[in-house]
Amino acid sequence: MNINVRILTKSVAQQYAFKRIVTFSTKPTQQAAAAAVPQQQEVTGPTVRKPIVPAHYRFVYPEFLPDPKVEWRNAVREKLERLDMLDRRRQIELPEFYVGSILAVTSSDPHAAGKTSRFVGICIHRERCGLRARFILRNVIDHQGIEVVYELYDPTIQKVEVLRLEKRLDDSLFYLRDALPEFSTFDENMEAEPLEEGAPVPINDIKVVLRPRPWLERWERQNLLGVANIEQYIKDKHRKSAEKVQKPWEKYDLMKQYRATIPEEEQKEIFAEVHTELHTLELQRKRNKRKRTFVKPKHLA
Amino acid sequence: MAQLLLRNLTRAGNAALITKGTSSSITGAEPGSRQLHTTQACCEIRKLARLRVVDNSDLGKRAMAEGRPPRCIHVYNKRGVGLIGDKVLVAIKGQMKKGILVGLKQKQRIKQPQFDSNNLVLIDDNGSPLGTRIHVPIPTVLRTILKEKTLAKGADYTKVLAIASRYV
Amino acid sequence: MLRTVLSDLARLRLNGSVCSVTQVREKGHLNRPRLRNPYWFIRQQRSQTDDQVTGENRSFIKEVIHDTYGTPALIKGVQTYEQKQLIKTNELPVPTEPWTPAVRRCGVIARKIGQYPLWLKNGERIRTTLLQVVDNHVIKYIPPEEYKPTQRPNVHNLNRYGCALVGAESTNPAQLTKEYCGIFRDSGVMPTKNLARFIVSPQAALAPGTPLNVGHFRVGEFVDVRGKTVYHGFQGVVKRHGFKGMPASHGVTKTHRRPGNIGGGGEKGRVWPGTKLPGHMGNRWRISKGLRIWRINTKYNVMWVQGSAVPGSTNGLVYIYDTILPLRKPQAAPPMPTLYEQPEDEAPDDIWYEQVHNFKDESITYKPE
Repeated sequence: MNINVRILTKSVAQQYAFKRIVTFSTKPTQQAAAAAVPQQQEVTGPTVRKPIVPAHYRFVYPEFLPDPKVEWRNAVREKLERLDMLDRRRQIELPEFYVGSILAVTSSDPHAAGKTSRFVGICIHRERCGLRARFILRNVIDHQGIEVVYELYDPTIQKVEVLRLEKRLDDSLFYLRDALPEFSTFDENMEAEPLEEGAPVPINDIKVVLRPRPWLERWERQNLLGVANIEQYIKDKHRKSAEKVQKPWEKYDLMKQYRATIPEEEQKEIFAEVHTELHTLELQRKRNKRKRTFVKPKHLA
Repeated sequence: MAQLLLRNLTRAGNAALITKGTSSSITGAEPGSRQLHTTQACCEIRKLARLRVVDNSDLGKRAMAEGRPPRCIHVYNKRGVGLIGDKVLVAIKGQMKKGILVGLKQKQRIKQPQFDSNNLVLIDDNGSPLGTRIHVPIPTVLRTILKEKTLAKGADYTKVLAIASRYV
Repeated sequence: MLRTVLSDLARLRLNGSVCSVTQVREKGHLNRPRLRNPYWFIRQQRSQTDDQVTGENRSFIKEVIHDTYGTPALIKGVQTYEQKQLIKTNELPVPTEPWTPAVRRCGVIARKIGQYPLWLKNGERIRTTLLQVVDNHVIKYIPPEEYKPTQRPNVHNLNRYGCALVGAESTNPAQLTKEYCGIFRDSGVMPTKNLARFIVSPQAALAPGTPLNVGHFRVGEFVDVRGKTVYHGFQGVVKRHGFKGMPASHGVTKTHRRPGNIGGGGEKGRVWPGTKLPGHMGNRWRISKGLRIWRINTKYNVMWVQGSAVPGSTNGLVYIYDTILPLRKPQAAPPMPTLYEQPEDEAPDDIWYEQVHNFKDESITYKPE
């Protein structure tokens, strides 16, 4: 149920926005979101025998879906990779997070004094699949913008905490590099803000204020939703050239979309394979968490 | 070579308003900067790259406050592109000073921080820093790199580590 | 020649009464050694016109195939047929002589199935390529006395070595020519899509029908991988040799991606051999040598090999040999002539090299000094 709500809110937010096709992105496009609602009702009716994989798994575990490039695919390799990923997930909790969530990563560092280092920051990008999955954290510490790239399955990572679970309006937040520093400043000693169980992941619709040009990229060409003052800094010539490079027909290009994503049937197959394992891990984590919350007041007293 | 560069720089510096790269990123919005032609800041530290002094040495502070950050005029390694922990020669306020790179804008290895500006700590010929405090975080790899360089080069670079306020 | 002429003369004298002369026809030159292809280089695919075959006959063919080779089965991640009658444990040859570094063992045929990173125990990330040994069987062993190839492989003292013919990926024999299927008749192996010959010492000779698995190699040892590089077609110098090209503007016309000058004048006024020019790129046999095996999966017959520069595309065929680099040859004896896998053996699925981090282990931590 809450998945539908999640998809619907997303579609409402992006109703009039042009959606660029992003490789590896499995976020539903508008048509897909609209189609997903009636389909689910059909599926729940007749077939009950197969393990029902929750539809939000492809957003929670996007790295389990292989690279859609046909030339690079191989069933045995993908299977072995998934087994390794599950093995790693049994050792460490890799929580659900999205671009825009605030994470704290503790990793062992041979150079640091205590041999561990902890970095808090907002996830501005998630990319690649399988064991290569990685994400970029950004923070401003002592008025100095800092970014760190982490690999999700790197065994030197000791802990990944999600301090604030939320999404932003865009698929990647590289524009924070050109925004005012307060938009990427986060307290290092921030407390985790747990969501209610079963609540949809909130979408933070904050609009970021950019610094004047020069910028690192031509943001005016990228149809960003999370930027407030882009109009302030661009001139007519920028507007014209931005219009020229737009490809509004791409959202109708079904082949492009097909090549850039894993088909739904294959996604189901893949997740059916790992679903039970992931589900038991989730339940285990939940139980442990409950234990921890129960112990906490005792400890304080 | 370096002296010649320096002379040219000081002459040109009076005329041009420097708005490139690091200076604008630090001082924020300058009203005049939008009228000038600016290119994206070079992410590699080569000769003539602008740097940002991040220690509290008097010279460095004054140079940054005036909006005339130092320029790299030589990189002391074989490739000519400065990497983290490398020693560079800079032209700062009409003088030549040496410094150590303590934070880079270019792509870094996995788990090593990438900074929004190219940071520099000024040192003298013996490797001891001119300032007494670094006011931005520095990467932890520097501890290993500078210790290795201290052994190899004979100059004591570990004093730079001692004045750091925070590591990431 | 002389003898034939003499015999012809004798014949002339014998039937001299007949006034006819038999003609002597010979080649106008001496016998040159002709470069013949090995006998297993035959047309493989039969022309596909099955219109005449009725459905009944088709099912009969299927039945015959199942009777001779067993039912289709997924063995170690590869679709093949269970060829149970091949494995005869009592007939396995036991090597008579001990292993020495000079012994050449048989290689295997594999497919490059992809690449992904592994981590060492010190936290270092390494890139690895996965090679899957695909359903390998020895088809024939030719002893040194009989192995006289017309196209001699570049192997020192070739007369001391025999040749092992190995096939990979069994396929439906109904689609193959009669001659091609004949290669497999003696061994009883199901006809395979791919064949390769490996130069083998007589000590490491293999019986026909022996399956080759990834257990042939051991973790931590080094292998050479031979494959055909990705074909790029006819390419210019910028892509083919990494030339810099020339500027896009500043008065440059018509020479943006051209090679420029290709030689001097005067006495050297010609194009020197080896000059880098445009041409076909890729599609050549290349060997990357001395790649360490980091990990082995016996369940799927997969080995993880150092580096991401193994020649060939993903899902392409490669051949794996013991390395010829003298400093990377194994110290201890490898399985000789190969590792015979017994079904009752309970080997672990994954074998990790000691330096590699197992994903089942806990996170890597460093000890404080």
